[in-house]
Amino acid sequence: MNPYLQLSGVNKTFGDFTALDRIDLDIEQGEFVTFLGPSGSGKTTTLMIIAGFEDATRGAITIGGHSLAGLAPQERNIGIVFQNYALFPHKTAAENVYFPLQMRGVKKAAGLAKAEEMLDLVGLKGFAHRYPKELSGGQQQRVALARALVFEPDLLLLDEPLGALDKNLREQMQIEIKRIQKRLGVTTIFVTHDQTEAMSMSDRIVVFSDGNIEQAGAPLDIYHRPSTRFVADFIGESNLLDAVVTDAEARVAECPALGSVVFGAEGQPPVVDGQEVALLIRPEHLKLSRDPKEGRMNAKMVIDTIVNYGDNALVIGHRGDTQIRVRVPGADVVILKEGEECHFSWTEDAAFVLDR
Amino acid sequence: MDRFLRWTGIAIVIFIAAPLVIVVPMSFSTSPTLQFPPPGFWLGYYAQYFTDESWLRPTFNSLLIALMTTILTMALVVPATFALVRHKFWGKGAANVMMMMPMAVPHIVMAVGYYSYFGSLRLVHSHLGVILAHTCLAVPITFLVLSANLKGFDRTLERAARSLGATPRQVFIHITLPILRPGLLISALFAFIQSFDETVVAIFISGRDAETLPRKMFDSIRQEADPVIAVISTLLFVAVFLGLIAPHVLRLFRKLFSRAAPKPVRATRNTQATTPQEVK
Repeated sequence: MNPYLQLSGVNKTFGDFTALDRIDLDIEQGEFVTFLGPSGSGKTTTLMIIAGFEDATRGAITIGGHSLAGLAPQERNIGIVFQNYALFPHKTAAENVYFPLQMRGVKKAAGLAKAEEMLDLVGLKGFAHRYPKELSGGQQQRVALARALVFEPDLLLLDEPLGALDKNLREQMQIEIKRIQKRLGVTTIFVTHDQTEAMSMSDRIVVFSDGNIEQAGAPLDIYHRPSTRFVADFIGESNLLDAVVTDAEARVAECPALGSVVFGAEGQPPVVDGQEVALLIRPEHLKLSRDPKEGRMNAKMVIDTIVNYGDNALVIGHRGDTQIRVRVPGADVVILKEGEECHFSWTEDAAFVLDR
Repeated sequence: MDRFLRWTGIAIVIFIAAPLVIVVPMSFSTSPTLQFPPPGFWLGYYAQYFTDESWLRPTFNSLLIALMTTILTMALVVPATFALVRHKFWGKGAANVMMMMPMAVPHIVMAVGYYSYFGSLRLVHSHLGVILAHTCLAVPITFLVLSANLKGFDRTLERAARSLGATPRQVFIHITLPILRPGLLISALFAFIQSFDETVVAIFISGRDAETLPRKMFDSIRQEADPVIAVISTLLFVAVFLGLIAPHVLRLFRKLFSRAAPKPVRATRNTQATTPQEVK
């Protein structure tokens, strides 16, 4: 069976500048997919091409087997929530939500009734007659979501919709959007540069960099088994150390910073003897202690900085010229001092190699 | 220091307002010429203004010319502003300068130009000639007001409307136009005032047939200083004053009216974006 949404060989150039090199991506019906990447990585350009606001230089896009080529934005039946919400200031919340129905020839009474129903669904019962400027940021966000969903779009696109909200509200909206998306079963693409947002909301994350897809996969897959240095660096925090494979069979690499290291994590790419690799150990997989821990691999470092977040702390230290980052639970941080030398330890299955 | 500034301020306000206020009593004067203070009061000059053909005709001319100027100016400037603000094309810089030119060139120079140019086109002493000249003079200010409005317009709104199923035409009718309406009204008002108030060009080319009110007033003050001028000034002053306070009165009424409606429910506690006075 063909995938629901298919991008094949999508390329976009602006003069000499290549915004999208070559994007191939399949998305299943009902999936919640996040496009994650730094600004200028091509994620928003891809979104705009799907929406029909930009034309791809090459490549094809199909939804449910039908090509989108030659269809104007208004003919695509795609709902979009913009970063600044883009609510019509001269229309009330209900009229905003009614607008797509109005454009589809739905009569006013029936349309407004449906709009209010949709506003109920996004938790805005009783706000139908407010104008956008009389609503808070989070409420405007909900109206924008209702408006993008009320006409039962084939696809929902969310372009960094939570960027303008403060932290608490942002978390609340993440849960809300996810709930509504599940309830309606609408295929959704969410664009963000915030990796925690991507981790918490997505069925699948697509990591963009320099106009290419670096990696696409389930959030935990990407977190634990990044396929490139860029992904390892961009998603979560990482200690990335240069190493050379000395024994591919026994999975041992020689690392100038740590010495001989066994990389025992699951799902690692195949390696050969003598291959130059990057060794990844996540900061939360390291433990700090005064004395070496038994049953774990140990090394010494000097603590430079402790950044306390309350529930946890980030300890940044060095071993030779190599910076080491360690996440420790908040309760453990009191025994540590800056400038102190201590041991850090890890288990074999916390070490993962990827192409340098 | 505060006292000094306050009294200076009051003095300036009086200085600015005095000429406006002085015409009001003069319009009720019994004196055969413009004279202050008036020797006595009556409404004779009001009666004269509203009955005398030689005053009513210029008034009608002025209103007609200003109205036609407004329509013509808007018909030209609205598309031009969209083109200049939203699109890139060859010669855009030059087009921008041309739009603003009538503002930079002294009116007297324009007037002489129109006088000789329109003469050969047989447009002198005609309504059409004055309308064309006034349209040209009204373009810069109308363009300035409108382009400032259009530059502030968030085009994401149009994209949003497209994604929701609206054709470009529907976007313009349902979204762009209604949101720009205040700007359009204000720029049209400016065009109207520009024409209604214009004297120099009118003196040169309006002639007898298309004589405008400012021209008639100018002629009258030169010949006889007829107090009807004070009547007209007072009427215009009142019209502008009403125009200025009308929106405030309307707002007051709306506020009184909406007080009966239920108070808005406060948003969730996370909405820190709201200003303190909203909390009341």
